[in-house]
Amino acid sequence: MKPTKWITALLAAAGIVLAPAVQAQEDIVIGGSIPMSGVFAFAGIGIHAGIQDYLKIVNDAGGIKGRKFKYVFEDTAYKPDVSVAAFKKITGGNKVSLYYGDSTAFQRTINPELERMGSIMMAGASLATEINDSKKYPAQFMAGPDYSEQIGILLRHIAKEKPGAKVAIVFSDSEFGRDPVDEFRASAKKLGLTVAVEIQTAPGSVDVSTEVIKLRRADPDYTIFHGYVLAPIPEFVTQMKKSGAKSHFMGTFWTMDSSTVMKLGESGEGFMGVMPYRYYYDTSAKSPMLDKIRQMRPEYQSTPYLQGFLTTMLFVEATKRTLDAGKPLDAKNLKAALNSIKNFDTGGLIGVPITIRGNSIPVGRIYKADMKAKTMVPASDWIHLE
Amino acid sequence: MRIGAAKQSYAADEALFDSRTQRIWLGVLTVALVVLPFVASQYWLYLTCLVGINIIAATGLNILTGYTGQVSLGQAAFMGVGAYTVAVLDRTLGTPFFINLIAAGGIAMLVGMVVGIPSLRVKGLYLAIATIAASFILHFIFANWKSVTGGTAGLTVKPATLFGLALDSEFRFYWLMLPLTAVMVFGAANLFRTRIGRAFIAIRDRDISAEVLGISLLRYKLLSFAISSFYAGVAGGLWAYFFRSVTPESFPLLMSIFFLAAIIVGGMGTILGGILGAIFMTLVPEALKMVFGWLPNAAEMAVHLAPVRIIVFGILIVGFLVFEPHGLSEIWRRVRRFFHLWPFRT
Repeated sequence: MKPTKWITALLAAAGIVLAPAVQAQEDIVIGGSIPMSGVFAFAGIGIHAGIQDYLKIVNDAGGIKGRKFKYVFEDTAYKPDVSVAAFKKITGGNKVSLYYGDSTAFQRTINPELERMGSIMMAGASLATEINDSKKYPAQFMAGPDYSEQIGILLRHIAKEKPGAKVAIVFSDSEFGRDPVDEFRASAKKLGLTVAVEIQTAPGSVDVSTEVIKLRRADPDYTIFHGYVLAPIPEFVTQMKKSGAKSHFMGTFWTMDSSTVMKLGESGEGFMGVMPYRYYYDTSAKSPMLDKIRQMRPEYQSTPYLQGFLTTMLFVEATKRTLDAGKPLDAKNLKAALNSIKNFDTGGLIGVPITIRGNSIPVGRIYKADMKAKTMVPASDWIHLE
Repeated sequence: MRIGAAKQSYAADEALFDSRTQRIWLGVLTVALVVLPFVASQYWLYLTCLVGINIIAATGLNILTGYTGQVSLGQAAFMGVGAYTVAVLDRTLGTPFFINLIAAGGIAMLVGMVVGIPSLRVKGLYLAIATIAASFILHFIFANWKSVTGGTAGLTVKPATLFGLALDSEFRFYWLMLPLTAVMVFGAANLFRTRIGRAFIAIRDRDISAEVLGISLLRYKLLSFAISSFYAGVAGGLWAYFFRSVTPESFPLLMSIFFLAAIIVGGMGTILGGILGAIFMTLVPEALKMVFGWLPNAAEMAVHLAPVRIIVFGILIVGFLVFEPHGLSEIWRRVRRFFHLWPFRT
């Protein structure tokens, strides 16, 4: 073989070998510490599907500026040390620009590393008030209102529905549960509401008879539960209703999945709560993105699914804006691009255009359980906290 | 084949490593551990650092449970005491890391001694419950002593610094973790060549007989709790420097069960057992993840494979308990015996 042919053959071989590597370099990588097993698996599985679906939509449409998104994830079983291991593994093997974290503990632990790396913007399952601080967490955000903002939205609704009402909060003895308690007191005072009682229980406790008596004595007009997924809410609601109490019961985001609320049974009729997104089956207004989701997945999709979906939408939008500005995909540019989002249409996932100023989207709506129809129906307009 | 090890002095008889082969292998291991951070990825270094911390905590628990026979489910809470000590000292006094780590061990040791008092009256499951209660009390203190512990939000910790160099990456932290783990493990191994260690073993084997032989149960049981908690405190302090964030939820009861499982799987009452158990409990879930990842369509099947992986891990633990109740250290010993006699008798 002539030398020129040798060179041609070698270049061709090199091309074959290097082509996938070049392609991989061009991909924009979203990493994920996802709780596919463990106590938070119910959410992790939904989040995982939501991320995959939105990326499928984007990649099928050609990606962003010809670059496709690649999603690399690891199961964490909702353990912070395993989440960190997953982060190290994924970021060690890929050039990651965006990352989905699974918990407040993980997002707090990895924050110094994020700042040191400066190359990754993170969002995740944590809606902790602490994360909603763009000075302390400059490379992170959340696709919804933080827990304090959720309580603020609930109290705004109460103040409008029944000015001067007596409100109670029942929260779990955990970081998650205690998160918005200070804000609850402050907001209630500001809105002219009376704090009837504050009750703390063990997370997931079942026997709450003494706490129910305490709540009944306080006789609140509204009772807000926070820091639980389900238990002990059914016990409280059932026993309070049996005793003839007229309190309205409310929950925050992680309680508000339709399938979770429906587990309350008949006593859950009228159970309300704050939701940052429209429910999968909510057809009360035009929502092209929900239509697309329904086409892709004809069966009901959970609220964590919507959270994963919207987070990915914001990841992609921030990436698009960064690339449009001709800037490299690093944490600073991605976050600046995210914070440039004003009056953004989520395709109806959130009923109003959104603006992201800091680390959260302080918008939500009150939904109410209709046990006969087995659905959650809107009970308020979209409430935007300034 | 190993013919025999002629001992010509009591010192030789008591040596931790009594043959040339052992010393050569120890040298090989040392070289491997020194080379490791230069060749391992960030992910494997992270896991190695985590294994090191877990080895210290598991060795501490092994001293108490494996050697002294005192069941404890408070190891994670003692680690929490150590972690908070480091965090508080770091934030308030800004003392160097080695002072903070010694203080972490010291404070945890004092707390451990208090928690160990019930061991004078109760043992077995009753003592386990007492230590669980103690860990709940400590958890309550972590969550509610807001002015010191930062409440539920916890405290953040600056990285340890050595000669002005921040140990803020796995590579740098490794050089703190490795010698400390080695010192703690060798310290534990040496402990059982002393009167104190032999007293612990005597108490484990029959406490009444030990007392008849003149061993003060009060002194030695509390001493065992103290040493074990010291180990947990140092491990907790290292944990705080490694993760740089300490909250009440960082050290749940499940973590204590993790350490108890580690020493049972590794082999109670052997130093090697604590080491192998900590390695097994930390690395096997990750190894299973890797193995499951090789399956065809693993990414698409992730939702179904995740729980299966946990079941397999559980089955592995049960399997060890059923087929080798003396743990991984006994398997290791059998492998060694095989090579001692090889090729004549296998």
